[in-house]
Amino acid sequence: MKYFREISVALALLALLIALAIVAPAFYQPQPLLSLATREAPTLIVACGMALVIICRQIDISVASQFAICSVCAGLLASMKLPLVIVLPASICIGAILGSINGVLIAGLGLPSIVVTLATMVTWREALRWQRQGEFVNLPDNVQWFGLSQSAGQWTVIAIAITLLLVLAVCMNRMAAGRFVYAVGSDAEAARLAGIPPQRVTFLTFAFMGALVGLAAMMNVVQSPQVDPKSGTGIELKTIAAVVVGGVAISGGRGNLWGAFAGILLLACISPALTHLHIESYWEKAIQGMIILLAVVADGIRTKRGSA
Amino acid sequence: MSAPLLQLNSITKSFDAVRALKGVSFSLNAGEVHALLGENGAGKSTLIKVITGAHQSNTGTIEINGKTVEKLTPASAHKLGVAAIYQQPALFPDLSAAENIALGLEPPSALRGIDWSQRRAQARELLKRVGADIDPGTEVRELSMPQQQLVEIARSLGKGARILIMDEPTASLTQKEVELLFGVIRQLRKDGVGIIYISHRLEEIFAVADRVTVLRDGESVGTHPVSEIDKAKLIRLMVGREVAAIYPPSQSVPGAVVLALSKIGCAQSQVHDVSFEVRAGEVFGLAGLVGAGRTELARILFGITPADSGTIQLNGKTITIQSPQSAIDDGIGYVPEDRRRHGVILEMSVAANTTMSIHRRIFPGTWLRSGAERELAQKYIRDLAIKTFSDESHVNTLSGGNQQKVALARWLASGPKVLILDEPTQGVDVGAKSEIHKLIRNLAAQGLAVIMISSDLPEILGMSDRIGIMRAGTITSILDGKTADAGTVMAAALGQTRPATAL
Amino acid sequence: MKNFLRSNIAKHETVLLAVVITEWFYFNSVGAHFGSLDNTFDIVRHSVEIGLLALVMTPIILTGGIDLSVGSLLGLCAILFGKLWRDAHFSPMAAGICTLGIGAVAGGLNATLITWLRLPPLIVTLGTYSLFRGLAEAITHGVDTFTKFPDSFLFLGQERFLGMPAQAPIFILVAIFVWLLVHRTTFGRSFRVIGFSPEGARYAGIPVERRIAMVYVLAGIISALAAIIYTARLGQAKADAGTGYELYAITAVVLGGTSIFGGIGTVHGTLLGVAAIAILSNGLVHARQPREVAGMLTGLLLILALCSSVVPKLFARLRARRQTAAPIQAVKTS
Repeated sequence: MKYFREISVALALLALLIALAIVAPAFYQPQPLLSLATREAPTLIVACGMALVIICRQIDISVASQFAICSVCAGLLASMKLPLVIVLPASICIGAILGSINGVLIAGLGLPSIVVTLATMVTWREALRWQRQGEFVNLPDNVQWFGLSQSAGQWTVIAIAITLLLVLAVCMNRMAAGRFVYAVGSDAEAARLAGIPPQRVTFLTFAFMGALVGLAAMMNVVQSPQVDPKSGTGIELKTIAAVVVGGVAISGGRGNLWGAFAGILLLACISPALTHLHIESYWEKAIQGMIILLAVVADGIRTKRGSA
Repeated sequence: MSAPLLQLNSITKSFDAVRALKGVSFSLNAGEVHALLGENGAGKSTLIKVITGAHQSNTGTIEINGKTVEKLTPASAHKLGVAAIYQQPALFPDLSAAENIALGLEPPSALRGIDWSQRRAQARELLKRVGADIDPGTEVRELSMPQQQLVEIARSLGKGARILIMDEPTASLTQKEVELLFGVIRQLRKDGVGIIYISHRLEEIFAVADRVTVLRDGESVGTHPVSEIDKAKLIRLMVGREVAAIYPPSQSVPGAVVLALSKIGCAQSQVHDVSFEVRAGEVFGLAGLVGAGRTELARILFGITPADSGTIQLNGKTITIQSPQSAIDDGIGYVPEDRRRHGVILEMSVAANTTMSIHRRIFPGTWLRSGAERELAQKYIRDLAIKTFSDESHVNTLSGGNQQKVALARWLASGPKVLILDEPTQGVDVGAKSEIHKLIRNLAAQGLAVIMISSDLPEILGMSDRIGIMRAGTITSILDGKTADAGTVMAAALGQTRPATAL
Repeated sequence: MKNFLRSNIAKHETVLLAVVITEWFYFNSVGAHFGSLDNTFDIVRHSVEIGLLALVMTPIILTGGIDLSVGSLLGLCAILFGKLWRDAHFSPMAAGICTLGIGAVAGGLNATLITWLRLPPLIVTLGTYSLFRGLAEAITHGVDTFTKFPDSFLFLGQERFLGMPAQAPIFILVAIFVWLLVHRTTFGRSFRVIGFSPEGARYAGIPVERRIAMVYVLAGIISALAAIIYTARLGQAKADAGTGYELYAITAVVLGGTSIFGGIGTVHGTLLGVAAIAILSNGLVHARQPREVAGMLTGLLLILALCSSVVPKLFARLRARRQTAAPIQAVKTS
């Protein structure tokens, strides 16, 4: 079945939501749900980029460090009293530059993306710590919630993330560039024969991933009066888990953003669900790991049965 | 009559000192199916590569649509409407049929919208032209091999291909699928497409082709309308040369039966009901067309794809071969066809390659003993006259023939009772070739049972004591190596019941 | 080609040795106490755990694989060791042996998923990376730490034995073991064959699955050993023990000249890589540079080492293309 994975993730999510409705109806209060959605909006944006990268048969584990750098830089620019119309594009540009560095090393030199992004992850992270020594950036008043009221700001963040998801999902399906990513991830050699340059597509995917991280970082910065230099920690695992669970094959060329969206929703609900179901939240990471393993094992068994 | 679609005039093509094409002329008319026939290595693939622009001919001219083409490159050939379809389609397995077709046809610009309904309509129309009943939305990985070929043909048509080259398109198809493909070919012919059809299956050529050209040793030995020729004559044209008497004569007297197979089959590799015996001191040749199941049979005997039916007896004892390790323990060695990928490890030394399959024996207690290893390697470098700088040299510094000798040395070192050689002289120069032949003879004289797979007909005839013919996954007949000739072997491999020599 | 490759590898390790020596003399001239025996022992103490992980990462990368889970496994084993000792009242010795067994089981989980389902090591160990760390956090509720180990146990991490840090003899033993395994046994030979060509290894009758399983199980056991030494050195076990160590281990291995594509590499190269990183991070502290600079330079070093590893490959590919293109066609059509 073509949408087997997307549907099964959606069903799992539905089951979780129903269980919560019965056991812990307190989960369904508008205010906490709104702040949950706002909190997870940046993750969704990064997950969209991660889906593209994995569809292109690559991986990027440096996103957390990119996220932190973009956040701090955006915070510093904002604290220099620059208006948001400048800070936002600047943050996106910084992300795109960081992503391009990955892209050059991976597409240009043909190095494995896992090790390259591992290296850039630690380089950026340590460089940031060195420069900032873990210092928070205080933001001027007009930055939080874009200078709007809290609920208006929350809705803006959610709207931006959802709009991005919609636009990207449509582009991946209905724009040639999106199909090129699928083609390269499915078979780079066949893509070359069809006149699609695999290296350029790979490079641009990483650069775009960086730009999305810059946007996501900005969506995170506006949520609090300060910028935490550690913000974004663990986002790489969460987004990889969401994307893989949502049916994007780690072998490239398969899957879509709707699956990644379902995956993010599922993972986002786990943490509050644990609280409401009176399970300690320390289990979250272990459950995430289990979900990744379950997803790849399911894929492995399916391909094994398919080939035998 | 208008000018032919494609006209080749005395094309020659040399690689270093080897002349692969020696003045071949060939023509293809619109609405014609022109079959190209010849043994492996007769020059068919080189000719195809000249037509698709992958190789530039040394001399001779190429005319397409009546106009002389100066320098044919893959891009310009493509523009002039030349398209080739190979056995393994170059498609995107994860994408739909419609998209696979569209990606080859749409402009390369990235910033444009995709009109899926137009893509689907286009795919539906093209697939209809090739008579394929495929939903354009199906992912290609879900399609069978023949359906994938049809998708590729559809894509070529969409590109406006006027000259379509089909290289063994039926190699992996069932009879029914072949019929469907022929329907498509006839339809294309009606539409004025010229088709160059390459196949080893004579009945197909008679079923579908208008004319046939036979290539032999890089030369065209004649073009005939299919209606004016019969199978026996074609076979004679293909093999029509004396088997050179350069093969060392058989000296050994076959001894006891070493390996006996009875009704061996493996569903996964489509081999079934194979029964034969090989005696000590005997060279058992395995002949057959590409795809007849010879390599698959060897892989069963070596435990890579274990048999799921039948019995194997070694020296009278029934054995089960579950893995390469167990095959080696039982005394079976296999020199695989793809030397560079399977036969040797290119990045490792001659010595390491020599001992690779006998780690347990030569390195007791798992400790490497470089002295013993080098001594063994040097013995084989001497015995097989391997030309190498030293036993420490990496195998990728050696020539093809010497690499093959290293692959052989590995299995000789294992002291096998049965040695399977898969295309042992493919890609090997003439000198090394006859050395390898002498070596095979010596091994047999020492009492080894040798199974030799070869597509080189003279080699099969010159080397084998007996010849097993494989066709469609099983051994159809076993001939005596002394009395068999090229015609009988070729006829049996092609599935002709009446021996061609009778005609 | 052989001479080219060999001299290249030899060059790699000599260059690295020169780098290590230069580092040593530079920091000795900058920091007052850098060259003292105490500080040398300090460097050794601090690099033993990462060194152990790098040692077992070497055969894994030689087979063309990778293990991202070793750092997390170190954390999990550390708190399980503490749990066994404090809550189950095991003696440190018994707890240690059990921990090694747990490490073997965890490595076995990686090995099973990689060989049985033929899943890419990268994604499997990324999953277990999250799983092991998550289990450690869940078991300790994120806050529980294990302290007050007996002195007899802390001796292992903090005292001297035979005139050197007590953990050094263990490290030396493991280093000798891994060196012999990789360079002097048929196992090491098999790892390289698998790294160069898994298919070719199968055709040579090498039990590919069992060899691959072996390196991941070994990594599990040695990660557990590193966890015990880590606990003894710090005198406490916490869920975040060993965070990021997998990166240092991979960096040391790649820096030491092992190709990330498998097949090529040496254990002594890895040891030099560990030394280069350890001296750098300790020396920078003595040179009054913040600790983060060392981390940043480690990442940069890894990128540089990767780039340098790919350059000969690019050349080889170019050369191979030029050499094979013509002859292969010739033989097919001859």
